[in-house]
Amino acid sequence: MFLLHEYDIFWTFLIIASLIPILVFWISGLLAPVSEGPEKLSSYESGIEPMGGAWLQFRIRYYMFALVFVVFDVETVFLYPWAMSFDVLGVSVFIEAFIFVLILVVGLVYAWRKGALEWS
Amino acid sequence: MDLPGPIHEILVLFGGFGLLLGGLGVVLLTNPIYSAFSLGLVLVCISLFYFLLNSYFVAVAQLLIYVGAINVLIIFAVMFVNGSEWSKDKNYWTIGDGFTLLLCITIPFSLMTTIPDTSWYGILWTTRSNQIVEQGLINNVQQIGIHLATDFYLPFELISLILLVSLIGAITMARQ
Repeated sequence: MFLLHEYDIFWTFLIIASLIPILVFWISGLLAPVSEGPEKLSSYESGIEPMGGAWLQFRIRYYMFALVFVVFDVETVFLYPWAMSFDVLGVSVFIEAFIFVLILVVGLVYAWRKGALEWS
Repeated sequence: MDLPGPIHEILVLFGGFGLLLGGLGVVLLTNPIYSAFSLGLVLVCISLFYFLLNSYFVAVAQLLIYVGAINVLIIFAVMFVNGSEWSKDKNYWTIGDGFTLLLCITIPFSLMTTIPDTSWYGILWTTRSNQIVEQGLINNVQQIGIHLATDFYLPFELISLILLVSLIGAITMARQ
């Protein structure tokens, strides 16, 4: 009912990857001197004094990057099973995925031309 | 690592507990950024359920899309709200709240009554439609890929059209 033995390496990787940050925080908490003060509790802002609150309004422009990211994230999820079954099915499915990507490339070109991918 | 029954049950209970905790956090926390993060906890717990049901692809897709993209989008949307706006509105019990409460109670109970009555094996018609799948040498993700590429090639292309429409719509809306 619960098959995990195929993913032994993945679980080992996950455990090691989650142990590393825990160990780092533990060691630094053990070694660092305890100093209480207003400087320690203030938020880190590249070494300069933080000014203003952390609650400030972001520009709506960044929302566009997130939306473009969502679209291409979903595309990746649909392309992954295609790539996994590519050697079983052969070259004919290549055309399908090509059309799939081509339609999305139209969207990417549109986003590019409209300046949705520029930071400034 | 083959987990026996008790550990499986403990993990299911753990996931359900996290789900309840996160859901209560979404509703009860007054700071919207905390609500958004507890929504992330809810989505991670749902993905844990998919892992426990041996559907790894759905679990990873859940993590990748909902936690990695949709939840980040929601947190972005919270960050666009001015910090002082959300704390001002008072708690008034309106008719809309009562209607929502009624709806939210009705949906789980109707689901709880309909799920045991449905015969879920009638839905599995896709598993016997293709001869490549019956070779038995391929894993779950490859089966999904084969079905996408052979039986469902038209929906597969339509998905890209839907994604294109959503991309263009998002850009035009965000530019205004």
